[in-house]
Amino acid sequence: MIWFLRDIDLLSVLARAATLAFEALLLGGVAFLLAVVRPARASGTVEDLCRRGIRMAALAFVVGQLALITFSGAILMSGSDLTFKDVTTTGFFRADFFAILFAIGLWSCARFKSNKATVALFPLSLLLLAATVSTSHAAARIDHRVLLAILTAAHHLGTAVWIGAMAYLLISLGRVEDSNEARQLTQRYSRMALIGAATLVLAGVGMAWFYVGSWSGMYTTAYGIMLVAKIFLLLAMITLGAGNWFLVRRLACDPEPLLVRLRRVVEAEVCLGFLAVLTAASLTAQAPAIDVNAQDRLTSHEIYVRLHPETPRMSSPPLTALAAPSSLAEAVQDSQFVATVGSDDIDRAWSEYNHHWAGLIVLIAGLLALLSRYRTMRWARFWPLTFAGLAVFILLRADPENWPLGPRPFWQSFAAPDVLQHRVGALLIVVFAAFECAVQAGKLKARWASYVFPAMCALGAALLLTHEHSAKDVKESMLAELSHTPVALLGITAGCSRWLDLRLPRSRMASIASYLWPVCLALVGIVLLNYRELP
Amino acid sequence: MFTTWSLATIVVAFGIMLSIPRVALAHAVLVSSQPAVNSTVSGTEVAVLLKYNSRVDMEHSTLTLLEPDGKVEKVAIESEPEPGVLSAKLTGLVKGAYVLRWQVLATDGHITRGKVPFQVE
Repeated sequence: MIWFLRDIDLLSVLARAATLAFEALLLGGVAFLLAVVRPARASGTVEDLCRRGIRMAALAFVVGQLALITFSGAILMSGSDLTFKDVTTTGFFRADFFAILFAIGLWSCARFKSNKATVALFPLSLLLLAATVSTSHAAARIDHRVLLAILTAAHHLGTAVWIGAMAYLLISLGRVEDSNEARQLTQRYSRMALIGAATLVLAGVGMAWFYVGSWSGMYTTAYGIMLVAKIFLLLAMITLGAGNWFLVRRLACDPEPLLVRLRRVVEAEVCLGFLAVLTAASLTAQAPAIDVNAQDRLTSHEIYVRLHPETPRMSSPPLTALAAPSSLAEAVQDSQFVATVGSDDIDRAWSEYNHHWAGLIVLIAGLLALLSRYRTMRWARFWPLTFAGLAVFILLRADPENWPLGPRPFWQSFAAPDVLQHRVGALLIVVFAAFECAVQAGKLKARWASYVFPAMCALGAALLLTHEHSAKDVKESMLAELSHTPVALLGITAGCSRWLDLRLPRSRMASIASYLWPVCLALVGIVLLNYRELP
Repeated sequence: MFTTWSLATIVVAFGIMLSIPRVALAHAVLVSSQPAVNSTVSGTEVAVLLKYNSRVDMEHSTLTLLEPDGKVEKVAIESEPEPGVLSAKLTGLVKGAYVLRWQVLATDGHITRGKVPFQVE
């Protein structure tokens, strides 16, 4: 694992993403227990389930925080003469340490059913929230520090109450036997989630006002582009949530089938919610748009030049024409100080060719998947086979300076973060293609196997949403993101709609979902076919 | 006990959460620097002033100088004139290409690195 451990920056962001998610689950669990389960006098089974969820989330949060301290400390110590003792005197160490203590406190209180222990969950949650907010963007702002800290706290709280608590609702609905109890839980959660969503959105708008500063900041900076992705996920969640809201209103007349539908939609909503949290974690690694200089922002002309339709590049420049690769040690060392690898027009043409062929493969897969919905076109159900070709293509051509085309050895090249990301992506595609093919051919009849495609689709899209492109300057990275972000969002939509297609009982919504995911796949192909790096 | 599918949903959600996030830790941004990036300075002593977009922890931030002969020297950070600004002094400079490498710890716990290449004539 030595090559993996060298990607320590990457692990640090990973731990940050995990702690944000576990924080939402932990605080969401407390909110669900205090505002839904207890007032609704839910059964002991549901309360036990909720308490167990809180304990698990607290432990996971502690592990995430420990990893975060370890990785951040390691980054701080590497390349400087700071010792571990020095790290313990930093503000982030103290904040993370206290967050761990509060999480342990929450874990302890969740073990006891006494009123005192239950009430203590509330102040402990607020303390944990304060500790995590003190390591947010707000803490480092030069102006409006207190106001931004309050908005950040409200944003975290809204996320926990809406998205974190939703996971507990989903688990509870799977366990309750009495439909009256299910209805009560759902209605109480629904009211709480509405307040949570409103808080989240209002605080988010306030933060965007300070961190983005202008409309143009939304599309001319990486922070703004990521924020647009987050808003897309949020709107998708609100759409599903609105559907659920009307469903909850009808629960009184015919609860059983409606509860099944509700659970299925909530599954997709939970998935979208945590993807939005992932995007938020990515945002913490970006400079706020307002801090990006005018020369580092995209211009409308640059966006037009990059996005206007053009004939795809289907022929590749020769390998020998690419810039000579530097040694792996040099590349890894350099990547710590500049997120750049020099590239010239030949390198860019190489990359365009890769993206355009990938686009063609995905477009064909999407169209075949769409055709396979018609009885006379059953042969088209083997569309996942096309993806196996895509994985091989990524492995061979994504990083030409590494094995098998370049001099850098296969295993050692994992030390470069972008190589690791490409290979994880290729592996995910192979797993997905194999499973989906076996499912479509009827060789794998287990229900769970059919869920691998939507899960992998969302996972792959999430990977892309957080994928960092090595480019010569900040603008190149943002221009690449202009096409990668829509691909990621279409991928997430495809994953979630396929999930609903498989899980929902026959309904209009299921029918829409069954057409939506192949269309999303085809659109991904079209976006990739228009991907460009050359002016 | 959790139902299988509820558990699977949570696992998938967290699998997504744990997928590899963006690598660029780009929080504390260097707003301006003295010497400026790719500038030419003269003399054996140069005052360094690095201005960031966020508050930085001076005690836990470091500067190193890559000299023309490839030697790497640690540079002491002298003071923090105002929040988000670090000052230092480079001495004993000779003619050639230098790279000032900075690593700062923002008060939100983010560590960022960068470099300021400059020429001494």
